[in-house]
Amino acid sequence: MSRRVVVTGIGLVTPLGLGKDSFTERLMGGESAISRIESFDTSSLSSHLGAEVVDFDPKNYIDSKAIRKMDRISRMAAAAAAMAVNDSGLKIDDSNRDRVGIILGVSMGSTDVSLKIIDTIFNEGPTMINPILVPNTVMNAPAGHASIVLGLRGINSTVNHKEASAETATAYSAGEIANGRADAIMAGGADIISPFPYEVLTRFRALSPMGGGSEGARPFDKGRNGFVYGEGAGIILLESLDTAQERGAEIIAEVLGWGMSAAPSPLSDWPEDTKGPVLAMRRAVESANLKPTDIDYISASANGGKRLDRIEAESIREVFGGTGGEAKSPLVSSIKGAVGESLSSGGIRSAAAAISLKDGMIPPTLNLDDPIAPLSFVVGEKRVENISTAMVNGFSSGGTFVSLIFGKFDGSP
Amino acid sequence: MKKNGDKKRVVITGLGTVNSVAKGIGEFVSALKAGACGIGEITVFDTEGSRTKTGAEVTDFNPREISPGIPAGFSTKRMSRSDLLAMAAATEALHDSGLFPLPESLREETGVIIGGGAGGIPEAERLYREYLDRGAERAKFSLLASLFSASSADHIASKLNLMGPKTTFMTACSSGATAVGYGGDLIRDNLAKVIIAGGTEPLSMITYAGFNALRSVDPEYCKPFDKNRQGLSLGEGAGMMILESLEDALERGARIYGEVLGYGITCDSHHMTAPDPAASGAARSMMEALKDAGIASERVDYINAHGTATPANDVVETNGIKAVFKERAYKIPVSSTKSMIGHTLGAAGALEGLVSVLAIYHGFIPPTIHLTEPDPECDLDYVTEGAREKSPDIVLSNSFAFGGNNTTVVFGRYIEKGKRGIVNE
Repeated sequence: MSRRVVVTGIGLVTPLGLGKDSFTERLMGGESAISRIESFDTSSLSSHLGAEVVDFDPKNYIDSKAIRKMDRISRMAAAAAAMAVNDSGLKIDDSNRDRVGIILGVSMGSTDVSLKIIDTIFNEGPTMINPILVPNTVMNAPAGHASIVLGLRGINSTVNHKEASAETATAYSAGEIANGRADAIMAGGADIISPFPYEVLTRFRALSPMGGGSEGARPFDKGRNGFVYGEGAGIILLESLDTAQERGAEIIAEVLGWGMSAAPSPLSDWPEDTKGPVLAMRRAVESANLKPTDIDYISASANGGKRLDRIEAESIREVFGGTGGEAKSPLVSSIKGAVGESLSSGGIRSAAAAISLKDGMIPPTLNLDDPIAPLSFVVGEKRVENISTAMVNGFSSGGTFVSLIFGKFDGSP
Repeated sequence: MKKNGDKKRVVITGLGTVNSVAKGIGEFVSALKAGACGIGEITVFDTEGSRTKTGAEVTDFNPREISPGIPAGFSTKRMSRSDLLAMAAATEALHDSGLFPLPESLREETGVIIGGGAGGIPEAERLYREYLDRGAERAKFSLLASLFSASSADHIASKLNLMGPKTTFMTACSSGATAVGYGGDLIRDNLAKVIIAGGTEPLSMITYAGFNALRSVDPEYCKPFDKNRQGLSLGEGAGMMILESLEDALERGARIYGEVLGYGITCDSHHMTAPDPAASGAARSMMEALKDAGIASERVDYINAHGTATPANDVVETNGIKAVFKERAYKIPVSSTKSMIGHTLGAAGALEGLVSVLAIYHGFIPPTIHLTEPDPECDLDYVTEGAREKSPDIVLSNSFAFGGNNTTVVFGRYIEKGKRGIVNE
C-alpha cells in the first residue's frame, strides 16, 4: 500500500507571529524576529540575542483546564496542533480519532523543568520534588498533551535528533500515512529557549558571535559567526490524499518524498565533507521520482554556523549544479535569519515551504550580503514566483541529514 | 511518492545487550532461564535522603571487555554512560550477525534507530553539581557533550562509519519498541539494507527522584501482577538487534533469530502518567500490531508484558489482553521480565524485544519472578514457576509509556519456505 500524502493544515507559534496568516505576512515581508533576549538576563554571557515567542496566550487555542498541566513547550505544541486542525477543517470524533495522530520532533524539550527538579534534589533533597512537574520532563510530553487536548488516539511519537528532529518526524509521519497506519498525522516540532541551555550553547561556542564580530543571524554569509537561538512550534497536518479529498479538504501542498542519511561527524559539529547531505538530498529526489533539475526551491538548514552553512552550500552545488549554464539551479533561502535556530525549526520551515508552493512566494534570507557560494539565493526581499517543488533540509550536528520534498498539489488523481 | 517495489520480510540476524543481569547475549539467555534478579542497592549515585534505594544497575561495566565488535581505535571520549551501553550492545549485535567488520558495500545502506531515555542526564547532573558548587567558570561543560539522547546513535554511526537513516525515538517507556518497529519499516520499505535498532537507558537521579515523587517505585523489588506490588524498579542497560531483509540474510547465509512481523502504535489520549482504565489504548496497540503483521490472534503463544508492577499498569494491561484475546487470554503465557532486569525505560521495549526473540530462538518462556501472591484482578498465566520449556512461534511485546504512548511489536519464528508458512502480507 502506498498512498499519496498531502498537507491540509498549518499551525504556527513562532517568534514571527502566531498562526499562518500573521507568520506569512511578516516572513514574506522580510521582517526579523531576532532581538535581545527579554525573558532572562544574558548580561554575563557572550551572546544576548534570541528569537523569542511573545504575546502567546495558549487560552486562545486550547482549554484552560488542560493548560494548567502543561509547561511552556507543551502549550506551544498543543496550540500549534489545535491551529493546524482548525486550519484543515478536519473534524476529529469517535469515527476517526483512532486514525489521527501526532509525531513531533523535540530537541531540547523541557530543560527548565528538569533543571528545577535537579535544583530541588541538590538543595532540598529528592523527596521535595513536586510530582506535578514530573510528567513534563519527558520529551514526549508535548505530543502527549496535544493528544489529550485534541482527542487523538492514533499513532503518537516523538523523535529527537537535534537540528533534524522535526524533519525526521515529518518523514516518519508521511511514511506511516503512505503505508496506511494512519489517515492524518500532525507533524512538526517544538522547542523553547530557556536560560541554562542558552548558557551552555554560548559555552560550546555555537551561538553568534562565537568567533567575535557583531552578533546576528547570517545564514550563508561570509561574515557568519554562529546561530541565534530561537523557539517555537510549527506543525503541518498531513493527510492521505484519499481521505482529504473525501471530506473536501483544501489541499495546501503534497509530500512527494524524503531522504535520510548519516555521516561520520564530530558530535557537536557537522562533518567536514558533503557526503551525508548529498546522500540525503539525492535519496529525497529519487524517492519523489524526480530529477535534481525538477527542484525549484530549497529551504536550507543553514543557520549561520561556520561548517553547516558551508557544507550545505557545497552539497547543493554538488547535487544541483551552480548558477548559470545549462543546468537550472534551484532558488535557495534560509529563514533562520528571521526566526533563528530553534533546533526543531523543521515544522516551521515545512509550513513555510507549503505556503511558498501555495502562494507562489519565496521568503528571503536576511542578513546575507556576501554569499559564501554562487547559489541562486533569495536575498533581502521575497521572490514572487510560482514553484512546483520545494525541498526542506534538516541537517544536524553529529551527522544526521534529512531532506523533505513538497510539491504543489496539481489536483491530478 | 515512488513505490519501493514489494515489501520485504524483516528478520533479526544479530543481538547484543548490557543489562543488570547480563553482559552479552549468552549470559542473558542463561539469566532469563534461571530467573536471575538484577535489582539491588543503587551505587551509581547517592540515594541518601531518597524514599527508596534499590534499582537494577549495570555494575563493572567496560564496553571493550563486553563487546567483540568494538572497532579498532575506539575511544570513550565525550561518550555518556548511555552512549557506552548502546555502543557495547550495538557492536555486539553487529558482531553476532556476522557483519563485523561491516562490508564496505553496506556502509551507505546501514542505519541506526535508537530508543532513548535519560541520555546524557547523569553527566549533566554531575556538571550541574559542579556549576552550583564551584561556579560556571570552573564547571566542566564538556560533560554536556553527549547530553542529547541522539548522541548514542551519532556515536555508533560515526564510529562505525554508517551512512543510512539515523534517528532517536523519545517516547519514554515505549522508545525502544518504536525504534524496533520503525527500524523494521525501513527494511520493509527498502529504505535501508541493515538497521541497528534498539534502546539505551542510564540510571539517573532526575528519573529516580521523579518516579519516587510519583510514588511509583517499590522500595524492595518490583513484583509484577502481585497483589502486594508497590511499583517499579528502575533499571539501566541497552539492547540492540540487527534487522535485515529476509532475502539479504538468506543470501549471505546469516543465522536468523526470528522475524519482525509488524508493530502497532496508539495513544491513550487520556492522562499523562496514568493508563486509560478502559485499556483501550493498550488493546488497540496489540490489535494494530496483529493487523500490521497479518497474524490472527489465535496464533499468539507468548506475550512479553509491559508489566511494570505499578498498581495501575498491571490491571489495565491484563484487561487489555483479555479484550484482545477473549477467553484465550487465560491460555497464553504472559510474563514480565522487568521483574528481573527492572524497568529500563527507553531501553525497555528493545530489551524486551530481545527477550521475545530469544524465547523464540531458544525455545523457552521466561518467568515473572517475585510474584508470590496473585492479585485477583490479574488472573492470567504469568509463568510464576520459573522458565518454561515451550517453543513459542508468535510473540507480542508490549510497551506502554507516559504520554499515553503504546507500542506493541510482533515477533515470529522464521520458518523456511514449504514448511509451516508465516503469512506476512
